Amino acid sequence: MIKLQINDKEVVAKKGESVLEVAQRNNIYIPTLCYYKGLSAYGGCRICLVEVEGYQRPVTACTLPVHEGMKVKTESQLLKKLRRFNLQLILSEHPHACLICNQESECARYQECIQKTPITFGCKFCPSNGDCELQKLVDLLEIKEIPFTFSHRKLEVEKYDPFFERDYNLCILCGRCVRVCNEIRGAGTLDFHHRGPETLVGTAFNLPHLETGCQFCGACVDICPTGALRDRYSKWRGLQDRWVKTSCALCSIGCAIKLNIREDNLVNSAPDDNQICVRGRYGIVPLVYHPKRITTPLLKKGKRLIQVDWKTAMDFLCTKLSEHSGKTGILFSSQLTTEAIDAIGSLRDNFIITALPADNDVRPFSFKDIKSEAVFILLNTDMVSDFSPLLLTLRSRIKTKPIFIVIDAMETQGAKIADFWLRPEPGKEQDLLNQLFARGKTGNRSGVSAGDIAWCKGLLDNKNVYVLYNAFNIENIELPKHVRALPMTSMVNALPISKLHLKNSAIDLLQDQDIDCLYLIGTAPKLNKKYQTIIVQDCFLPGFDLDLFLPAATFTETNGSFVNIEGKSKKLRKAIEPLGYAKPDEWIIEQVRRDLQSSVRTGKIRKKRREKNSNLSRTSKKYPFRLITRENCYTYRGHTLASLLKGFERLRQDNHVWLNKQTAKRLKAHNDTEVMVIGEDISVLLPVMISDQVPDNSVFIYAHQSLGMIKSQPVKIKVVKKQS
Amino acid sequence: MMRKKTANKESRLHLLVCAGTGCVANHSFDVKEELEKEIARQGLHKEISVFTTGCQGFCERGPIVIVQPDGIFYQRVSKKDVPFLVEEHLLKGRPVKSLMYEPGPEKLPIPKMNDIGFFKHQRLIVLRNRGRLDPENIDEYIGFEGYQALEKALTKMSPAQIIAEVKNAGLRGRGGAGFRTGLKWELCRNASGRVKYIVCNGDEGDPGAFMDRSVLEADPHSVLEGMIIGAKAIGAQKGFIYVRSEYPLAVKRIKIAIKQAEKYGILGKGILGTDFSFSIDVIQGAGAFVCGEETALMASIQGKVGRPHPRPPYPVEKGLWGKPTNINNVETWANVPMIISRGAKWFSSIGTKGSKGTKIFSLVGKINNTGLVEVPMGITLREVIFDIGGGIPGDKKFKAVQTGGPSGGCIPHDLLDLPIDYESLTEVGSMMGSGGMIVMDENTCMVDVARYFLNFTQQESCGKCPSCRLGTKQMVEILDRITDGKGHKGDIEFLEQIGINTKLSSLCGLGQTAANPVLTTLKYFRKEYELHIFEKQCPALVCKSLISFVIDPDKCSGCTICAKKCPSNAINGEPKKVHTIDQAICIKCGICITVCPEKFKAVRKVSPAVK
Repeated sequence: MIKLQINDKEVVAKKGESVLEVAQRNNIYIPTLCYYKGLSAYGGCRICLVEVEGYQRPVTACTLPVHEGMKVKTESQLLKKLRRFNLQLILSEHPHACLICNQESECARYQECIQKTPITFGCKFCPSNGDCELQKLVDLLEIKEIPFTFSHRKLEVEKYDPFFERDYNLCILCGRCVRVCNEIRGAGTLDFHHRGPETLVGTAFNLPHLETGCQFCGACVDICPTGALRDRYSKWRGLQDRWVKTSCALCSIGCAIKLNIREDNLVNSAPDDNQICVRGRYGIVPLVYHPKRITTPLLKKGKRLIQVDWKTAMDFLCTKLSEHSGKTGILFSSQLTTEAIDAIGSLRDNFIITALPADNDVRPFSFKDIKSEAVFILLNTDMVSDFSPLLLTLRSRIKTKPIFIVIDAMETQGAKIADFWLRPEPGKEQDLLNQLFARGKTGNRSGVSAGDIAWCKGLLDNKNVYVLYNAFNIENIELPKHVRALPMTSMVNALPISKLHLKNSAIDLLQDQDIDCLYLIGTAPKLNKKYQTIIVQDCFLPGFDLDLFLPAATFTETNGSFVNIEGKSKKLRKAIEPLGYAKPDEWIIEQVRRDLQSSVRTGKIRKKRREKNSNLSRTSKKYPFRLITRENCYTYRGHTLASLLKGFERLRQDNHVWLNKQTAKRLKAHNDTEVMVIGEDISVLLPVMISDQVPDNSVFIYAHQSLGMIKSQPVKIKVVKKQS
Repeated sequence: MMRKKTANKESRLHLLVCAGTGCVANHSFDVKEELEKEIARQGLHKEISVFTTGCQGFCERGPIVIVQPDGIFYQRVSKKDVPFLVEEHLLKGRPVKSLMYEPGPEKLPIPKMNDIGFFKHQRLIVLRNRGRLDPENIDEYIGFEGYQALEKALTKMSPAQIIAEVKNAGLRGRGGAGFRTGLKWELCRNASGRVKYIVCNGDEGDPGAFMDRSVLEADPHSVLEGMIIGAKAIGAQKGFIYVRSEYPLAVKRIKIAIKQAEKYGILGKGILGTDFSFSIDVIQGAGAFVCGEETALMASIQGKVGRPHPRPPYPVEKGLWGKPTNINNVETWANVPMIISRGAKWFSSIGTKGSKGTKIFSLVGKINNTGLVEVPMGITLREVIFDIGGGIPGDKKFKAVQTGGPSGGCIPHDLLDLPIDYESLTEVGSMMGSGGMIVMDENTCMVDVARYFLNFTQQESCGKCPSCRLGTKQMVEILDRITDGKGHKGDIEFLEQIGINTKLSSLCGLGQTAANPVLTTLKYFRKEYELHIFEKQCPALVCKSLISFVIDPDKCSGCTICAKKCPSNAINGEPKKVHTIDQAICIKCGICITVCPEKFKAVRKVSPAVK
């Protein structure tokens, strides 16, 4: 315990703490700008200066370690003068027209919408107006004028990346974005360039963020004290006046989030003192208000869909369900609330029920299982793209810095920043695992060099080895006893669905020729036959004809819960009323149950013969290429985020088939050439995208239900000639 | 390529050719080669040997050749002088007067080095070996009692005793701040942790400073010896010498010295047969002045960007990779061996009460004898500038001397009798700094000097804190305006305010001292600022916007030379008729003044500018 005095008040501190931390703990206010809890202390803004007895000049409190007997003063004439000096200097290169204008309050009444102008040269024109730390400090330090010559950097606003914009004319070089990106997220996308008065923040070689491995998590935008970094979408929706704490239901992690609200409209979603990913940060609110969102029931009349009221819709529904009794299948998404799923489960005596995706054997993921001195082998799973908050939690929870080895034939984001990347031939992952865990020399069966395998074996010595994998991307791996397998899934509600012990799978349902009626709840799979009646309960129209559309509420518009990857129940809190006539899924199911005639009974369908998984590496003359598939974890209910939101389309490019330059040359294909990918049981038409991430003689597709139930297998590629 | 030459015991004469950077740039290697050739041609090679040595310090007069044991000093020796020199002096025994130093026009040449004012008044401790040994030969260093202090420290003294000796000697950091070296070593020794580092700061970024370069080039082993003694005292296992990459010769020589020391068991495992092990790596800078600041230097060594970090915590507590690190300047380290071998009492007998020992200054600017001088602390500015420096060339009037580089300040004529030490310089608003001493005469504009230094610090600022990054920018803008004739009322007061605030709130020494040139020139030469602002006049006739070139009609003979040479055709006049300069076109390049014949001297500068 160290005793010191701050403003003549006795306080105690631990060795290694800074004066600022101690002051904040004792509710003694010291103004700051570049300091942020959780980041390393920078000491660059010079605002938190304090005077210490015996010291030649004031020192920054955020970097000053405490020592016994220190006497600190946080307020004085000198400190006020110097804080003002530094803030005025900062403002001399930050557009401050409105900050010191004496017409400010008058002006406020007439210029509400001016935030949308392209050039920011004052508070009124800045999207962070009212939410800016410079404004707060100017008020606190009572700055009435800025005696320095003003210089504008004259940089163009960087608008070429999705999701957020960067106006570095407003940057005050506090370095918070640099530190959060490097220290907390580990993405390393931002850093300082040049030095002295030319200093700027930016990416390596000023490349667009899309090309630098930026995760678009928004951590930099959240931490920026000014309007230099701002969301593009929410910029137009104004400043929030309250928020609701809830959970993000877009993947199995279920991060805690805040939904910011202004006058009963969602503004944006933001982290709740934690780290989230691009889906939760930029995927939620634009979906809720998407122009293609359907919020009234639709009924097919002739060739068109017309809007009807709920009564008409439910009457039609119940009529049809009775008509097709015994021949109706329900295919529901896991991305519903647990309450909705339970409600669907209660209909199992009335209908054939299947889930997409589903897994009858689910083990919750537990951090408690993981000991220190850990090595994680990430197998066919891009933790950075798909599970970044989980990755960050793993890194921070485990005391000794864990080692990450990625095994993936694809060069994923995770592979790029792993401690080591082993690249087996597609389909040879088990061979590689065998080589890795075997004793003594092993052959070259997996396509990875003996040197690399030896190196990794060394990394595994005396460590607790965990193999993390997405069960969708690789099946039936065999591991020795001392290696723990930690299967993961991006599926929300995996545990409740597995507890339903569903008799049939989605494939069974979609293959069955006897089924006449499909009731799709949150799903939009590729259909293999014509159905007499199709009912869709979702937020967006699917890509096929339907007879009845029931508008569902998103998870921001309903109370409820869902179960995450750890088996924990995550609370959902209603932030706004459902748009239009949309209703929560469980309300709709409840109506069905209530109005259903007891004569409606479930039928029986055949189980599809489980074919042996075709060996991906066994290409033939007929099928010379290897199709690598990975689960597309960027989905909401039946749709990929990319199919609905432009930003995600640019980020993911998941509506293409990827192949590298060598394969493209072989096929004589270019970007956007349309090709048919044909295998034993798949046939899909997609445009090409040339990507270095794909290995030779292979093609890659993000598996999504709208393409059919595709799995990794040998394929052939046929270039479709365009009809001129 | 220099061939290693071993001393010829039978030589009756040794010729020492200076191979410091200045003389090398002036082709001293060619002179050496020519000497060897000519001596061989004359059949004297068995009795006369030629060696290269480190910098002699009198860089303005290079290439320098000294003939020992007579101590005859030859300066500005070129290749074509060699045959005559060999024949006259070496063969016939008649020293060559034309190659000797002349203290002034119509003054007799001085043959012996120790009689020349420049050398006479110096007291060589750090530079004791300059000019007398080959820096690339460890045997010569050992021959001049090198590494005996190390032996004493390792075998006869305990670490505590070594530290006590350095403390009692009163050695203070020669890099600029003047912190007590012994105390720093003690703090580092007492810091918790087993792993410790020592660093030699050879970044020497001050423009015009070349003291550290000289020491590293002339006597690298003195630095190594000091570092090894320091490592033993502190308990460090590893040392780093950080040299700016603009000093390739220094880097080369220190690396050779390290290799030779390792070969002789003076570096590495089990030094001199004891159980003390220590090794040194050389790290090169990459062109940033700010990396001379110790926290930025440490960041640079660790492979990060050279950006300073606030102190405390100080490096002796938490330095390289979080371990206690002791950082000292090249000159500081080079003082250590003498302190150990001759004792603290001897060292503290030199200098003043607060500042012991000697200091190397780079004496440059408007001075007759430009070069490196090592003088005892307490010597007056007047003695350095006039007795050693030989006064101002052209008999111009002394105006000011700038000490401490961009972190220092200007000292006016009235303070010439100021004894030089850390406290006295700080009291008058300047500082010792690394030892730069720039002499200025009546044709130096003090406002322009301030602008020059501030421009430098602005560009070298790392950009982390607004105080320095933007404070210096604002000061430069104001000074630019003033020297451009656009100064206005309130500028001086505003400059002072910005200067003081930048001084107090900047993160590191660069920002904290950047305002010193402005603040001292304002203190002592305020009138000059006021003339610039209110009268639009530059009394030193330097600031282009405030001066005009005019032709004196009484002196102009109409020779037309200036009109022909003027690059912008601004001079009009008929042959044999008085010429005039068209002020609207004149670009103030100064060519007309240079070409106007001596007998006329018709062109002159006036200020304020004429229309």
